[in-house]
Amino acid sequence: MSPRRRQLALSWAAVAVVVVAALAVGTFAADDPTPAERVRSLSSQFACPKCVGQSVQESDAGIAVEIRAEIVRRVQVGQGDGEILGFLESKYPGNLLTPSASGTASLVWALPVAGAVLALAGLAYAFVRWRPRDDVEVDAADRDLVDDALRSRRTGGATSDPGNRGARS
Amino acid sequence: MNAAIGSAGVALGLLASVFGVITLAVGIRSHKPLLLRRAGTYAALILVAGLIAAAAMERALITRDFTVRLVFENGSSLTPPLFNFASLWSALEGSIILWAVILGGYIALVAWKFRRRLDDPLVAWALLTMFVVAAFFFALMVGPADPFVSVNPPVGYDGPGPNKLLQNHPLMAFHPPMLYLGYVGFTVPFAFAIAALVTGRVGEGWLVETRRWTLFAWGFLTLGIALGAWWAYEVLGWGGYWGWDPVENASLLPWLTGTAYLHSVMVQERRGMLRVWNLALLCATFSLTILGTFLTRSGVVESVHAFSESSIGAWLLAFFGAIVVVTVGLIGWRGDRLRSPGSIDSPVSREGAFLANNILFGAFAFVVLLGTVFPLVVEALNDDQISVGSPFFERMTVPLGLALLTMMAIAPVLPWRKASMETLGQRLQWPAWFGAAALVGSVAIGERGLGTVAGYGLAGFAAGAAIRQVALATRRQGWRGLVGRTNGGMIVHLGVILIAVGIIASHANVVSREQRLEPGESFTVAGHELALVSVERTDTARTIRTTAAVRVDGGQIYEPQVNTYRVDGMTIPTPSVRTTWSHDIALTVSLGDWPDGPVQIRAVVQPLMSWLWTGALLMGLGTVLAAFPGRRRRPTDPVSGAIGVAEPEPERDPDAEPERAEVRT
Repeated sequence: MSPRRRQLALSWAAVAVVVVAALAVGTFAADDPTPAERVRSLSSQFACPKCVGQSVQESDAGIAVEIRAEIVRRVQVGQGDGEILGFLESKYPGNLLTPSASGTASLVWALPVAGAVLALAGLAYAFVRWRPRDDVEVDAADRDLVDDALRSRRTGGATSDPGNRGARS
Repeated sequence: MNAAIGSAGVALGLLASVFGVITLAVGIRSHKPLLLRRAGTYAALILVAGLIAAAAMERALITRDFTVRLVFENGSSLTPPLFNFASLWSALEGSIILWAVILGGYIALVAWKFRRRLDDPLVAWALLTMFVVAAFFFALMVGPADPFVSVNPPVGYDGPGPNKLLQNHPLMAFHPPMLYLGYVGFTVPFAFAIAALVTGRVGEGWLVETRRWTLFAWGFLTLGIALGAWWAYEVLGWGGYWGWDPVENASLLPWLTGTAYLHSVMVQERRGMLRVWNLALLCATFSLTILGTFLTRSGVVESVHAFSESSIGAWLLAFFGAIVVVTVGLIGWRGDRLRSPGSIDSPVSREGAFLANNILFGAFAFVVLLGTVFPLVVEALNDDQISVGSPFFERMTVPLGLALLTMMAIAPVLPWRKASMETLGQRLQWPAWFGAAALVGSVAIGERGLGTVAGYGLAGFAAGAAIRQVALATRRQGWRGLVGRTNGGMIVHLGVILIAVGIIASHANVVSREQRLEPGESFTVAGHELALVSVERTDTARTIRTTAAVRVDGGQIYEPQVNTYRVDGMTIPTPSVRTTWSHDIALTVSLGDWPDGPVQIRAVVQPLMSWLWTGALLMGLGTVLAAFPGRRRRPTDPVSGAIGVAEPEPERDPDAEPERAEVRT
């Protein structure tokens, strides 16, 4: 291993250590969400029943303000997220913004996963199909053709391509 | 009078487009260049017709001519001039006029740009396609969306004015036209793609012809979306800028496929590959603009953007269907000519990266489309009401966004054809340190959460790669290192990165609180003390305005307002938003029981919002720079050495390897 390559490998190893350490601290040293954060997150998961296309978090309609206040109350007495959303869903059915993981609605989760699998399979197939073929024999005539093309580029093409040339001089 | 002039304009537009189609069709069929050269006249006529219709409608709006139904329903003597002017696109029929004018402009520009090549079948077919699209939009105005219907207003009638939410901020005058410039602009490359398919000239020629048209359409769409987000942020008052509203999604969809196209087109220009894929992406982009219009205009989805129910939906859906059928049919028909001559040698290469980019953008578009139409489909089939909201979109798009940032870091340093791990390690070394520094810095200032800190790190990584490219290019070429597709593209990347950081930071650190206050009371949000000084009511002819004066940190006074419109009692809050480079404070007031009780003040504090708008501006700037001619390279030039059968070549052309040359610098 040349000194330069060793230096490069060391540099990457150092980056890896720093990144893993920082990610670990950033992930595991997180505090629990504050009550205010929970209120915000919960209210963005529930649609305002009287508005069009807005969550409780976004709307300034009276009922949205009311539901936000309800969420604040329930967070303060220590109810869990699931409990609070369950209560809201029973009081105002059909307004949960997270599609459920069962029944028809679960398709919206399943389809992207199926799509991702298909896309990856397609990509793998494309790469396999695109692999340079070994059975193509390059004969002298082909080489001559390429040489001719390169030669004509050096003589005729060079003037038409000053930018490319200047870039490297 | 105005109605008559406008209707005449619409009729002229329809006639010009239909006769344009017929003339070109006959000219192409019978090989008569004389007929084909007429296209310029028809193009000019369509533009003039659109302008007449728009001018007539503006005149009706400005003179408050309530005998025109659009003015009857959306005009008011009390609307301020700017919003009155913008009323044109605040209503369904008017927005179709705007569409037609912009389309007319693009058609005229194309006809002028290609004026010496009008008898070229490729150009003729492209113009014919555009005439068909124009005929469709003018037909809409003759049929289901006639803007110039006459009504008989009662004596002394005054209209209600446009939707109150749309007359609250000057951005309303700029966001829709900008968006339409983007939407409609994609008609040009689409038309050339159709022309290429029909004429069988499916090589790289049509791509090069439309490169700048695509770029500008994309730039306008980008700015239009950004202005829309800014408008939402300034007007809606909940501190957000993107609600995954169906209509916002509808504007994002063509942007996503268009962005994918801008990238993959380079693979085709360079290597002749991905022909079918590029055609499909372009046709998807154009058809998604029509689908977006359908979602906005037909009333199938409910949102702040959607206009009232109208029969126009069926027309737009039929047009969308026709586009899909025609393009799929054409691609199938030309399938044999679309086989690519090249192949991808290694996944670790520039073309491999573009392919991955396309998969990611495709997945992004798929998820957004699915989340948008899924509730509609379920309701239509099952009669079930379900909601798909931001929790779904966020869970699905955040990983895709992070993957895109990763690609943004790696792809620009990859050479074409094949990269060795060593090259990659060398070129990415400093960007990686840049990213690691961003990651460590964000953890050090207290950011937490895997997605959040990883986002900062990847943004830093991508920024490092973009800065490296720009630095290398400017060192080599001076100011020319800032223009051209690659270099301008890197500036766009930097804009995207600013936006990404703004989104991550504002999302992770937003603090909002609401409090009922009497004048003299105060509360604290994110370390800022907000004291309600006074609440005052002013009566104007148009509205009853209630203004709360809130002193922030003992200094500046913020004045959020609520306007109650006299005409229909609608209440629209006007938030007070102050932006600094580091953070924003947005205050909204709602009246509650006032004046009998306290008012409610809602405060949202979030960092780095200004980065979003700066980033969008940088993206626009980068687009312009990318449109400048950079260093030219003939698409057929050999760009890398012999592969596979590498035989020692005694005198290999050093020019044949520009990418390797870059490593040496």
